[in-house]
Amino acid sequence: MPGAGASGLVGAVVWVAGCCLSAASAVAADDAQPRFDYLLNCAGCHRTDATGSELVPPLTGIAPFLTTPEGRAYLVRVPGVAQSPLSDARVAALLNWALGELGGAEGFTPYSAAEVAALRGDPLRDPLAERDRIKRGQTPFPQ
Amino acid sequence: MSEFDRWVESSARMLARRLPRRSLLRRLGTLLVGGAALPLLPVARAAGEGARAGQPPEDIEGPLGDPSRCEYWRHCAIDGFLCGCCGGSHTSCPPGTEMSPVSWIGTCRNPKDGKDYVILYNDCCGRGFCGRCFCNRNEGDRPIYHPYRSNDINWCGGATTQVYHCSTALLVGLALEGQPEK
Repeated sequence: MPGAGASGLVGAVVWVAGCCLSAASAVAADDAQPRFDYLLNCAGCHRTDATGSELVPPLTGIAPFLTTPEGRAYLVRVPGVAQSPLSDARVAALLNWALGELGGAEGFTPYSAAEVAALRGDPLRDPLAERDRIKRGQTPFPQ
Repeated sequence: MSEFDRWVESSARMLARRLPRRSLLRRLGTLLVGGAALPLLPVARAAGEGARAGQPPEDIEGPLGDPSRCEYWRHCAIDGFLCGCCGGSHTSCPPGTEMSPVSWIGTCRNPKDGKDYVILYNDCCGRGFCGRCFCNRNEGDRPIYHPYRSNDINWCGGATTQVYHCSTALLVGLALEGQPEK
């Protein structure tokens, strides 16, 4: 009977959609805090989609920073991160989320609150010079 | 030839004589190009921005529910001229101005559901001060040493022209925590 086939199909679609929705809400719950912290503390300049502008660099493609200890440290020592009004644990969660979700980084060692605390204690005197120094040592690297 | 055929032929000839085809082509062209350009307008982008997020109730009586008023709930942290009084709206820039890609971001509480929402205060840039509907509410505003939480910055710095005209209040979605933080 065609009607039975159609209702079966509709049922299957609803079931699949329900699974996807519940999976999405589970992911959203885990990411909720870093997503919110990104919005309130980073997105004003880096933009909600992390594409940046004339004023600030994009965060898409920042994964190569993680390939050297200096680059990894730079991502915490840079003023916007080091001076953010967030706890070390929230900065660590924010960085780990942003690097994967916005920066496309995979398989990296997540930052811990202790690592963030240590790096924040060693702020950059000249962020742009440090960035240039890191970029010179690596190819390919985002502009 | 049948009566019907003659009637169709005379109708078609009459239409061809009376309807200018260039005008039809022009209208069709306008429709095609205009329709394709519609999603590029700032108002359409702003609408899309809201559609992705949890929508707050907007059926609020009085000034708290009126986007043309300073008291409008989304304006809780604004500092500038309301674009709704300057030829645009609270989500779109007036003609001749461009929306800055950077903005300051805060939260406002919706009076209807009592929840906090993240609001982007994107400035419209490219013409001199609008000068109408100045609105200076600073809830959650931070000193300039937290630049991304300060509304005293000229956020037109991210646009191609740095001349400030007016401010919009775009909705992003639900906030986990209201501003200012306790």
